[in-house]
Amino acid sequence: MITRSLKRITSVWIITVLVLFVTAIIFGITMRFNQGKDLTMSPVGFYSLMTTHGITMIGIWAAAGLVAVNYLLGRYVKVSVSLNVFAFVTTVIGVLMIWATTFIGKYHAGWTFLYPLPLQVAWAKWATPVFLFGLGILGAGWLIWSVGMLLQILSKYSLKQAFAWQHFSKNPAVETPPLVLISTVSLIGIIVSLLTAVILLVLYFLEYFSGGNFTNDPLLMKNLTYFFGHTIANESLYLGLAAVYELMPESSGRPRFKTTWYVALAWNCTLVFILTAFFHHLYMDFVQPVGFQMIGQLASYFASLPAAAVTAFSVIALVYRGRIRWSLTNTLFFIGIMGWLIGGIGAVIDATVSNNMILHNTLWVPAHFHTYNAMGNVLFCLAFFNWVAHEFAGTQASVKSFRLTTVLLLIGGFGFVLMFYLGGAYSMPRRFSVYPQEFTHAAILASLGAWFATVYLVAIVLIFANIIKKCLKVFSPSFSS
Amino acid sequence: MLSGIAWSAPEDYNFSEESKLYTKIADIKLNTTRGEVMLSDLYVKSPVILTLIFTRCVGICSPFLNSLSEDMDNLNAKENYKVLVISFDPLDEVSDMERMAKRYEREDDPQWVFAVTDNIAELNESIGFYPVWDSTRQQYDHDALLVGINENGYIVRKLTGIRGPDALMGVIREINNEFVLSYPLPRENMIFSCFTYDPATGKKKPSLGLLILVLPGILTLLMIALLSLKKQQQSVGNG
Repeated sequence: MITRSLKRITSVWIITVLVLFVTAIIFGITMRFNQGKDLTMSPVGFYSLMTTHGITMIGIWAAAGLVAVNYLLGRYVKVSVSLNVFAFVTTVIGVLMIWATTFIGKYHAGWTFLYPLPLQVAWAKWATPVFLFGLGILGAGWLIWSVGMLLQILSKYSLKQAFAWQHFSKNPAVETPPLVLISTVSLIGIIVSLLTAVILLVLYFLEYFSGGNFTNDPLLMKNLTYFFGHTIANESLYLGLAAVYELMPESSGRPRFKTTWYVALAWNCTLVFILTAFFHHLYMDFVQPVGFQMIGQLASYFASLPAAAVTAFSVIALVYRGRIRWSLTNTLFFIGIMGWLIGGIGAVIDATVSNNMILHNTLWVPAHFHTYNAMGNVLFCLAFFNWVAHEFAGTQASVKSFRLTTVLLLIGGFGFVLMFYLGGAYSMPRRFSVYPQEFTHAAILASLGAWFATVYLVAIVLIFANIIKKCLKVFSPSFSS
Repeated sequence: MLSGIAWSAPEDYNFSEESKLYTKIADIKLNTTRGEVMLSDLYVKSPVILTLIFTRCVGICSPFLNSLSEDMDNLNAKENYKVLVISFDPLDEVSDMERMAKRYEREDDPQWVFAVTDNIAELNESIGFYPVWDSTRQQYDHDALLVGINENGYIVRKLTGIRGPDALMGVIREINNEFVLSYPLPRENMIFSCFTYDPATGKKKPSLGLLILVLPGILTLLMIALLSLKKQQQSVGNG
């Protein structure tokens, strides 16, 4: 059941996420302008900003996915508002701690905090433990929240039903809604990734406080880092997809998606493959056993196929020759699916060993992950935000008002990632604060990327302005749930 | 591999190939078989592979230098480098090093330099080389150590023991500023490695690290199984 308190906390989350999103976009634009030599930052300033940008973006869109799923699950199971509030409080504390380390302590080891960088202190000494503690608080809050949501699903659906296994036989007695199936699969992935983060942080602290008596194995630490980082980034996207399955038909005035045997099979396979695809981050680690590298490549192919094929097929079937009532909500879902698929293809290209030899750590990497995040998952979540804001306000989206926003979003978003793809295709390295002269086109591509990102930012601000007014209505004394 | 090991070593003795990496080697005066030079005079002209021996050694020094000399001939590497052999024994003199050069037929080889120095303690400290005098055997316990020094005088690679031509080629490429893959050797305080290597069989075995890697998955499975079981018991109780 969707209560007034659930609406209120959802509203607080949406406003917080959007404020942080706009701020983090500005950080990103600043970095691209610095790479484009339009402004000058110190290397430490650049990498502090890069760390803040990365961790904030990954964090807020993982949280946004959880917020969306938590809200929509309220249609099928009883959801806990207390856990939601608890997660919000831990998120705020975690973000404040992490931002303090990067802006005050000048911590700048990147959001991946790849071993042993956090321990090679090149910033305020307190920043390393505070950064790791901040991550720990964030992770603990989300872990408890995710376990709570899974518990709520399992309190209504049996494990087999939550995985939709009954759909493998004819005429199942109980239908598992796609939202419940995808949420189950994604929440399990998120729990695994957050437990990995807990282990990773414990190992960091063991070394940090051991006074040199304990040293971590770099290979194990890198495996754990990407098991956590890759998995949470991908599962966040699947949380957004859960919202697509639930809301896209509804917001288009079409019958809702149903779980069939192939939908169930696709998402069950996705759970397995997504947990093993992270090995593709370690292709360059020559001490990694070859077997793991093979698993990495195969899982990357298989992880992208079932969910993407089934979702693309379902969305095309929904849209093709159908009478669609287009609104900002389903437009964002539709563009988001495109962005996710384009970014996914970019990811699979990079996850192929022979290509990775060329593309590894080039701008191709931020190209593909910005595509399926900024033009994929972000749009899924914004679509949910827009839909829920209209629900709070009791209004219907106007058809004409979003055209300018959509045009700005398409030009700004795809123009922004195109500059990254071109940089990657020319083997320009990622994570350079300023490019060497040998990369003759790097600065101009960065500068153009920053301008496109500014156009994207304008679109986001327009969406934000539209959503925020409606979200604030839930705090009005006259608001009726 | 080692003529002496840790029982007689001081507390800071270790076999790490990572200690002192990327630090500058002491620029000391050398008395070579061809005259006096500063160490920096050698490495600014061409990167250096340095090895430390003593001429009265009845242990590792001879097989180590034999192996090094043979590997250098077999590799016939085109890269620019010099091999610098320094005695760390204060009793050794230039004449001892001349005899040693002749023994390995390197006395006229411009790529090889044999030397002694009055500043051996400073040199040893700068590269993390700590030989220990064993008065019973009248011998030093010491590593068989190769140190790669680039043209700026930085230690960029260290090899302990007789390691064969591939590892040696890695040092030659590294001191010539090529990127060479490397990985820290397992240490006593590194208990969570993914694999352990058994030198007796030459095989790798899965280790504690792999268990840690699969632990999150196992914990999640256990948690789901537990929740599911609890729900089943509740259903039976209610039914």
